[in-house]
Amino acid sequence: MDDIRSFCIIAHIDHGKSTLADRLIQHCGAVTDREFRDQILDSMDIERERGITIKSNTVTLEYTARDGRTYRLNLIDTPGHVDFSHEVRRSLMSCEGALLLVDAAQGVEAQTVANLYLALEYDLEMVPVINKIDLPAADVERVKEEIEEDLGLDADDAVLCSAKTGDGIEEVLEAIIQRLPPPAGDPEAPLQALIFDAQYDPYRGVVLLVRVMEGSLRRGQKILLMHTGKEYDVEEVGLLQLKRVKTDELAAGMVGYVIAGVKAVSEIAVGDTITDVEAPADAPLPGYKEAKSVVFSSIYPMSTEEYPELIKALEKLKLNDAALTYEKDSSAALGFGFRCGFLGLLHLEVVQERLRREYDLSLILSAPSVRYRITLTDGQELWVDNPSLYPDPGSIDGAEEPYIKASVMMPERYVGAVMELCRDRRGENTTFSYLAVGRVELTSEMPLAEVIFDFYDRLKSVTQGYGSFDYEMIDYRPTDLVKVDILVNAEVVDALSQLVHRDKARARALHYCERLADTIPRQQFKIAIQGAVGGDIIARKTINAYRKDVTAKCYGGDISRKRKLLEKQKKGKKRMKMVGAVEIPQSAFVAVLKTDRD
Amino acid sequence: MPPIPTKSEIRNRYLLMKPSPSTGAGLYIHVPFCTSVCLYCDFAVTIAGEERRNAWAVGVVREAEMYADCGLTFDTIYLGGGTPSSVVPERLDSIFVGLRGQLEINEGAVCYLEANPEDVTLETTTLWRQLGVDVVSLGVQSFDDEALGFLGRQHSASVALAAVEILLAAGFHTVSVDLIYGLSGQTPGGWKAQLARAVSLGIDHLSCYQLTFHEDTLFGRRLAHGLIEQVPEREQAELFFLTHEVLADAGFEGYEVSNFAAATRHRSRHNQKYWDHTPYLGLGPSAHSLANGRRWWNRRKVRQWQTAVDSGRPPIEDEERPSREELLLEALMLGLRTTDGVDLNRICERHGIDLLATNAATIDRFCKSGHLHMDESRLRPTLTGLAIADTLARSFNL
Ligand SMILES: Nc1nc2c(ncn2[C@@H]2O[C@H](COP(=O)(O)OP(=O)(O)OP(=O)(O)O)[C@@H](O)[C@H]2O)c(=O)[nH]1
Ligand code: SF4
Ligand SMILES: [Mg+2]
Repeated sequence: MDDIRSFCIIAHIDHGKSTLADRLIQHCGAVTDREFRDQILDSMDIERERGITIKSNTVTLEYTARDGRTYRLNLIDTPGHVDFSHEVRRSLMSCEGALLLVDAAQGVEAQTVANLYLALEYDLEMVPVINKIDLPAADVERVKEEIEEDLGLDADDAVLCSAKTGDGIEEVLEAIIQRLPPPAGDPEAPLQALIFDAQYDPYRGVVLLVRVMEGSLRRGQKILLMHTGKEYDVEEVGLLQLKRVKTDELAAGMVGYVIAGVKAVSEIAVGDTITDVEAPADAPLPGYKEAKSVVFSSIYPMSTEEYPELIKALEKLKLNDAALTYEKDSSAALGFGFRCGFLGLLHLEVVQERLRREYDLSLILSAPSVRYRITLTDGQELWVDNPSLYPDPGSIDGAEEPYIKASVMMPERYVGAVMELCRDRRGENTTFSYLAVGRVELTSEMPLAEVIFDFYDRLKSVTQGYGSFDYEMIDYRPTDLVKVDILVNAEVVDALSQLVHRDKARARALHYCERLADTIPRQQFKIAIQGAVGGDIIARKTINAYRKDVTAKCYGGDISRKRKLLEKQKKGKKRMKMVGAVEIPQSAFVAVLKTDRD
Repeated sequence: MPPIPTKSEIRNRYLLMKPSPSTGAGLYIHVPFCTSVCLYCDFAVTIAGEERRNAWAVGVVREAEMYADCGLTFDTIYLGGGTPSSVVPERLDSIFVGLRGQLEINEGAVCYLEANPEDVTLETTTLWRQLGVDVVSLGVQSFDDEALGFLGRQHSASVALAAVEILLAAGFHTVSVDLIYGLSGQTPGGWKAQLARAVSLGIDHLSCYQLTFHEDTLFGRRLAHGLIEQVPEREQAELFFLTHEVLADAGFEGYEVSNFAAATRHRSRHNQKYWDHTPYLGLGPSAHSLANGRRWWNRRKVRQWQTAVDSGRPPIEDEERPSREELLLEALMLGLRTTDGVDLNRICERHGIDLLATNAATIDRFCKSGHLHMDESRLRPTLTGLAIADTLARSFNL
C-alpha cells in the first residue's frame, strides 16, 4: 500500500489542471502518442468544445520513480467552475492529497482559495504547483508571495512547471510520491468502500467509482450499500486506466470501478459506503451531502411533438448527472415541459447544450429563477421557484430570498468598480481586505438572484478579466418581490414571467421587451410588447406591421420555385410558438434569456 | 436529373391529359431573343442572329410535334419572352401554321403577344392583326426617359407613346401596357403621375410590377454590392396600395396583385390558367408545363434546348409531381393572388379537403383582421390581403 498515492488536481478555472493531467498521463506512458489528444480526460463534446472540465475524471497511472520503485498513482482531474464544486468535493473524499495549481501569470484567484478550503475540510495534504511558467507574463515571485499571504502555504514547497512544455513534470511526480501520504487501511478489515462518482454505460449500466478504505472488493462478492440499504452482486472490478481494466480485486487504498447491476445513477447515492453483506462494517464512512439545486428553469420542446423525446433525454441525462432535478410543468404558451433544477447557470447551459447536441432537441427555456420562501397571511409557508406558482399578492405576508456571500479577488485598482457593481446588485455588508501585493479581496452579501443573471460577465468586464469570483450560500432574507409578466398583444407569455425585486422590475421588463422587439419578426399587424406588474404596465415596445410580402410576378415558371420558398417558410413557422395570433420564433426566447449587455 | 425520357415515354407520361371540361388549356411559346438584355432581366434570353432565330422557330414546331395528340385542346396561345415582337412576322406565321398542324388549337383561341415599343410600327401591327394576334402586351415600363435608361431599356418615352397609339388604332381586342415601379428615388407623386399617364391613353389593361432584384442579374449584383438601393418595405407597400387605389379610381379592376383590367373581358385569360391550375403546355427554352398532376420544364439554355429538339429528344430539364399538400399550397398561394380568391368547394372536389373545416380558426382570424372575406364558397382576399397573399397562403394547415 506504500506505493499507492491518491490525489486530485484542484485550481481556479483554466489554470491548467486538465493539461497537467495530460502531461502526467503521458509521462507515465498510459497512452500512446497516436491515441493522445489534448485534455484527454475531458471526454464530453461540450467539454472539448468549450475547453472546460465539467465532470471530475479519474485515471490510475504507473510511475517508476527516481528511487527505482514503481508507484500506482490515482489521479483525479476536477472542474474549476464554481457551479461544479460538488464534483471537487466528491473527488476530495477519495484522496489523501491534492495538487493545488496556480497559474503563474494569473496568480491566486477566488476558486484557488475556495478549493483550498474545501481540501482542508477533508484534511488533505497539499502540494502547491505553479503552472504556466513558460508564459512571458509569468511572475513566479509574485505568485509565491500570494501563495504565502493569501493561502497561508509555504511557497518554498511550491513546484514549478509548465504543463504546456512539460517542464518540471518529473518534479511534480516526485513531489507526489515524496510529499503525499500513502493510504492507510487494512485489506483484511471489514469492507468500507466510498462511492465517489458514478458513470452510466449504456451496455453495463451504472459503473461505480470507488475508493476502498478498508478491506477489499472482488468479483462475485455480495455487497450492501449502507445508506440505501440495497444489495448487489459484484460483476466486475477493475482499474481506471483511461479504459476500464479488469482486475481480481480492489484492496484497501485502491481506487477503481465496480459494476454490480445498478440500473440508474438515481438508484444510488454518491458518498454512500459499500460493505460486504456477509461481514459488514460497523458504520458507514462519513457521508456526503448531495449538491442542491439553486437555479430553476422550465424546459419546453420547441415543437410539442418532441415532448416524448425530451422525457427520454432527461431520463438519460439524469443517469449520469445526478445533480440535475426535474419535474413536470406546463405553460399556456409553450405546452408541456419540465421544471428543472440546476447547480448554477453554467450547469443549466451545459444541460441545455447536451440536450441539443446529444439528443438533437431544440428547446425553449424559461427565465431562470431562484427559490423564494413565501409566508402567506394565514401563516402558511411556501417555497416558490416557478413564477407560475406565485400566489396572489393579496395573500402574501412576506417573501424571503436566498443570499450568498460573494468573494471577489482582484487587483486593487478595480475595487471602486466592483463595489459599485455590488451596490447595483443589492450587495450588503460589502467589505474588503488587502491581500498580497496590491490585491484585494472583497466580500459582499448579495441576493443569489442578482448573481445568477449576468454578475459574472459584468465582473469580468469591469475588472478587465482580472477579477475572480466565488460564492457560498448563507441565508434567506426578507425581500420585496413582484411578479413581472410579459404580454404580447395583451396575452401573457407565461414562460417569460419572472419574480424580481421591485426595484429591478422596470429595468428587467424593459430589457425583455427590447429583446423581444428585436427578435420577433414583423407580422401583418402591429405587435405591442409590454411588461406588467399586476395591472400596471411598466415597460412597452412596439413592432410595426409589414403590409406587403407578395411577389410581383407569379406565372408558369415561377410557381414551383415560389411554392418551395413558401414550404421552407412554413417549416420555419413550425419552429414558432403562437401566442394569440403572434408568431414568436425560438430565437426570441433565447435572446431574452441572454443576459450579456452588449 | 432523371434520365431523359424518350418520345414514346413522353406520350405515356404527359400526353393522356384530361382535357378540362370548362376551359381549354393554355399554350405558351417562349421566345428567347432580345435585341439587348435589360439590366434587371432574369428571363431565359439571348441576343442571336437570324440563323439561330430560324433554328428556334423550326424547333418550336418540332417540339410541338412531340405533344401531338396529347389530348389537350388549347384556347389561348401566348408568345412571351424575351421579345416576341422582334420575331419577323413571316416567321411567326410559319410557327402558327406549324403549331396548328400539330396541336388541337381552338378556332377562337385568344392569341397574346408581348411587344417592345421599338418594334411597333403600322406595318408590324397590321401583320400581327392578320396573324390573329388579339392581345398585345407592350413593355413600356416607364414614361420617364431617365428611368428607362436606368433600367437599360432601348426605347424612349415618346417611342412608347407612339407605339400605344398605333396599337390602339389597330383594333386589337386588348391593348395592355407593362409598367415597373419601386425604382429607388421614385416618389408616390411621381408614380401617380406615371399611372395617370397610362390611364389617359385609353388602354384596356395594365400590368404594374414592382421592380424585383433577382440574384443572377446585374441589378441583383449591384444591390448585393450596395451600389443601388431597394425601396424600403414600408414605401413598397405604400406604392402597392397607391397603385391599386389610383387605378380603381380610374375604373380599372385590380384582379390580381399586379394586373388591372378596364373591363372584365380584358382580363388575361391565359395568365388566369397559371393561377387556377388549368393545364398549360410550354414550348421553347425554359418553358414550364402543367398537366395531369405533373409539372415539367424545359432546358433553360437556348443551345441545350435546341440540341435536344434538333435530335428529336424532348428538351425537358426536369419534372415534379406535386403532392396533394403541395398542390393545395399552390392553389392557395396562386388563388389568393387574385381577387377571385379560391373556391373552397372546388378545392374540396379537387383535393378532398374542406379548408373551412380544417382551417376555421385561420380563416376566421384573417376575416376578422380584414385580410380575407367569404363570398359564398369563395375565400377572397381584400386589398390588404392581396398585399400579404404569401403570408395568407402560408398560414393554412394543409
Ligand atoms: N502557456 C501555457 N498554457 C497552458 C499551460 N497549462 C495549460 N495551459 C492552457 O491553459 C488553458 C486552460 O487549460 P486547461 O488544462 O483546460 O485548464 P483547466 O484548469 O483544466 O480548466 P477547467 O477544467 O475549465 O477549470 C488551455 O488553453 C491550456 O492550453 C501551461 O503550462 N502553459
Ligand atoms: S426585353 Fe424583356 S425579356 Fe428582353 S431583356 Fe428586357 S426584360 Fe428581359
Ligand atoms: Mg479542466
